[in-house]
Amino acid sequence: MPSASFLRWQNDRRSRLAEVDAHCAASAVLAPPNPLLAEESLSGYVMLVSGHFQGFCRDLYTECSQAFVARVPGGLQSAVQMQFTAALKLDVGNPNADTIRKDFERFGFSLHFGADPANGPRLTHLDQLNRWRNAVAHQTAAAPAAAPPLTIAAVRAWWASCDGLAVWLDGTMYNELRGLLGAAPW
Amino acid sequence: MAGWDTGGPLKVGSWVKVRGTHLDKCRIVEYRGPLGPGGAHIYRVRYRGKPYPAYAEFREDQLEVVSAEQ
Repeated sequence: MPSASFLRWQNDRRSRLAEVDAHCAASAVLAPPNPLLAEESLSGYVMLVSGHFQGFCRDLYTECSQAFVARVPGGLQSAVQMQFTAALKLDVGNPNADTIRKDFERFGFSLHFGADPANGPRLTHLDQLNRWRNAVAHQTAAAPAAAPPLTIAAVRAWWASCDGLAVWLDGTMYNELRGLLGAAPW
Repeated sequence: MAGWDTGGPLKVGSWVKVRGTHLDKCRIVEYRGPLGPGGAHIYRVRYRGKPYPAYAEFREDQLEVVSAEQ
């Protein structure tokens, strides 16, 4: 059963990204061409894909922590909530394998991305996405190392990988929490 | 930023007390959405920490709106 966070990713965040994708595709084929608009649009697109995926991860973490807290005696709930929220990596860092693992492993299990063979290429894409996100955000003079050129095809591939990771993380957290709590978390 | 359809019943910027804690007055800084059990509204609040302000997320039913002067 999907979480509210995943449904938001699927029904709201993806629709928003689809609008930006359509804008970028249209900007790339303008007559006469407008390369500056096409380039800046693509820069915005890469920021938004990474930002929405980070938003999904933050939402899912919150949903998981609140499901956990609901099983804690009332007098302890606020203390547990404060611990779950303290010093979260996803609050301040890019949504990469390291930040996702460090935050979600607070629930007391190991997050094995390798459990799904498709996650290897997805994490490579996520790394490339975040390299470009940071290059755009910090306006670095050179393209990031170890990342392909910024094209609409590349951003679409990165988005598809975020999609796959979202499905996997949502299902993994559902199963882990169900085992931990002894009941469906949502 | 993408928002949920509703901003939730409490307003961002409101001063609140968190029931069951000894926290001083806190401020709602973000509506996180209906992410609690059964779709309960979740809010991110900022409270006084040392040396820096800190943040935590609570359900709507844990928060009590207070005036800025209280």
